[in-house]
Amino acid sequence: MQRPLSPFMFPVWYRFQISSALSILHRLTGIALAVGSILLAWWLVSVAAGGEAFAATHAVIASPVGMLLLFGWSVAFFYHLCNGVRHLVWDAGYGFELHHAHLSGYAVLAATALLTALTWLYVFLA
Amino acid sequence: MAKAPSLSNATALRDETVLRRVRQLGSARDGLREWRSQRLTAIALIPLGLYFAASILWLAKSDQATAAAWLSSPVPALLVILFVLAGFAHALIGLRSVFLDYVHTRARLLAAELLVRAAALILAGASVLAVLKLFLGR
Repeated sequence: MQRPLSPFMFPVWYRFQISSALSILHRLTGIALAVGSILLAWWLVSVAAGGEAFAATHAVIASPVGMLLLFGWSVAFFYHLCNGVRHLVWDAGYGFELHHAHLSGYAVLAATALLTALTWLYVFLA
Repeated sequence: MAKAPSLSNATALRDETVLRRVRQLGSARDGLREWRSQRLTAIALIPLGLYFAASILWLAKSDQATAAAWLSSPVPALLVILFVLAGFAHALIGLRSVFLDYVHTRARLLAAELLVRAAALILAGASVLAVLKLFLGR
């Protein structure tokens, strides 16, 4: 019998739960940030190089695709940061009651949305 | 189900860890050290990450000269280098745990780990050199 395997059970076999959804999101945003670190290194190197290298990097970042990537990066960053704090609180031994875990999960989502919104409001308005 | 001898040591590059396990000296791997440094780098990355994000935001509309001047002053240079080092160390541990969950053959696991380690070393090295170049050349 072909049984479904763990990571791929989530959307089809398991009922949606905020806890498992946020858990897999933590991993996905972690992977995204690791991939995004290429952009971080590239930007630092282009600032150091200056001249045409910086202009080219700046053109890529300021393009629609670049802005979309930056937006995604900012969401991943704020989510991983907030949920990471949630994990550290668990590691310290607090917040394991189910309703607390759910509550902190929604708090993480709200904080991510707020920080992302504030960031991009600043970019476009300031 | 009969299995090939233990895959549980699949990531150990040295065999002395197997001896440890045979002698019942506890886990053959170094999960606790990794677990701990994942948390320590996470804690360090809270202020460092917020500092870097805020700085990037502040630099968002400035030119190369402003960014270069920022990176060449001592405090930003140090904090950005620390951010890069803590970030790549944290990412390596995280990616490794993803591989351990989803890559099931020893050869592929080793290949994935070596590849990611090499990439992280190159990217972290390039980042640190870039900051150092600006800092030392100011």
